[in-house]
Amino acid sequence: MGIQVVDASLFSSLDPVALQGSACVACAAHVFPAQATCPMCAGTEVSVVALPTTGTVWSWTTQHHAPKPPFRTDEFAPFSIGYVDLGPVIVEGWLLGRIEWVIGEPVRLALAKAWTQDGEPVFTYGFESVA
Amino acid sequence: MSGAANDVYLVGGSRTSFGRFEGDDQDLAEQAVRGALGDCGLAWGDVEFAAGGTNGETKPDNLVSRMGLTGIPFVTVKNGCATGAVALGTARNGLIAEQREIACVVGYDNHARGAFSASPARYGIGAWYGATGMMVTTSYFALKIQRYLHEHDIDPRTLGYVSAKAFDYAASHPLAWRRTPVTIDEALDSDMVNDPLTRLMFCSPDAGGVALILARGPRAFDLCDKPIRLAAVELRGRRPGSFEVFSPWLSPGVRTSPSVDAAAAAFHAAGVRPQDVQVAQVQDTESGAEIIHLAETGLCLAGEQAAGYLDGDYRVDGRIPVNTDGGCIANGEPVGASGLRQVHEVMTQLQGRALGQQVPGDPSIGFTHVYGAPGISACTVLVAEGA
Ligand SMILES: [Zn+2]
Repeated sequence: MGIQVVDASLFSSLDPVALQGSACVACAAHVFPAQATCPMCAGTEVSVVALPTTGTVWSWTTQHHAPKPPFRTDEFAPFSIGYVDLGPVIVEGWLLGRIEWVIGEPVRLALAKAWTQDGEPVFTYGFESVA
Repeated sequence: MSGAANDVYLVGGSRTSFGRFEGDDQDLAEQAVRGALGDCGLAWGDVEFAAGGTNGETKPDNLVSRMGLTGIPFVTVKNGCATGAVALGTARNGLIAEQREIACVVGYDNHARGAFSASPARYGIGAWYGATGMMVTTSYFALKIQRYLHEHDIDPRTLGYVSAKAFDYAASHPLAWRRTPVTIDEALDSDMVNDPLTRLMFCSPDAGGVALILARGPRAFDLCDKPIRLAAVELRGRRPGSFEVFSPWLSPGVRTSPSVDAAAAAFHAAGVRPQDVQVAQVQDTESGAEIIHLAETGLCLAGEQAAGYLDGDYRVDGRIPVNTDGGCIANGEPVGASGLRQVHEVMTQLQGRALGQQVPGDPSIGFTHVYGAPGISACTVLVAEGA
């Protein structure tokens, strides 16, 4: 492994990178991050699953001002956040590499440099353009 | 009209100026309560039931130490943006269940400058969410309206129309906070906060207090020339498929909203239709929220909003005047007071004594809507009876 991430429970694997969610045994609803119960049907039996690593931009925005702590960065530059439609679930995360996006464009999961709230450099997940 | 025994009416009300405030939080509450009592010629000793709320640290039920130790039940409410409406519903239910006649409802807050900061743990989310800059309310609103504009093919310039309308209403309202008119282009061209939302499209936390006096049955008509019947107060929470703040994931498929459910329940309980409404308030934490909530509450169809703003539908002389005191955008949002501000504005409109722009033509049916974290909405229907 060797890669420090912001929260290990978000990932089912790091190489190749994949996010970990939970799937309800009763209604098949997928949730991210994984949780022990299903908020969709109130079921209590779930299994841990690796989520698809490609999808399309479902919505996006660019953060033009630095968020308050516990957000940490060395030097603030505007960055994008989006919801990415992975099929069974729509996941929120950073959109990497630019600050203008189009709803519906294809993206894939990637690792990106971040900081813990204590200022330790780590990796988190984001989505980059497939183009 | 004389008032059926279990009908509850608004007979008095008062609001403070909204904006920055240097005193104690409960100075705002006391000022509002004394104003509301004076509005209908009552004294604190006449109040038989009270309900109040704030998002701050003070205890609303301790207001009795200022107002008088009369021994009445005073219920404290803390339901975020729905605090005022829940306090209102609690007071109505208290009057009916305990067969009391006079209730006081109060909401107040005195927030510090700047956007609300929230801790992930309080919402059951891991620390990673805050550390990576996703625990940001402005980005939630932006993500929601960005998708909404796309799905319903609405021109983003509509966001500028919402702000311009809010500041136009506020410019003639003596107790609103931000009262300088803003043009559509000024709103669209101000600093970008989160695409597509600019600084002049957001409300800010501030200070304010509002109080209302309720009366049950015929007594209401002794206290007030034109009592306003509280025809419905309904609170709803989220169901699967709603799109709420601080959500690391959303479910695909059908979108639901607690606003849709609360509005439908309120209209059903009151026995009126959305198209009957003649003056309305909807939660406008930012311009996009007003656009979304107009359709979610049934006041227009989704996709109709751009034409509606262009045609002036929501102006004081339009089809259905909305947020006629400038809404949250121009009044700011002291969370505990905000929902009661809406009810106070609609009450005074229906009584023909609005503090700012008065809706013409003697409107008799009003509606209010609040929405907030973690996915709750409350709606009221207000009816002026008789002539
Ligand atoms: Zn389930």
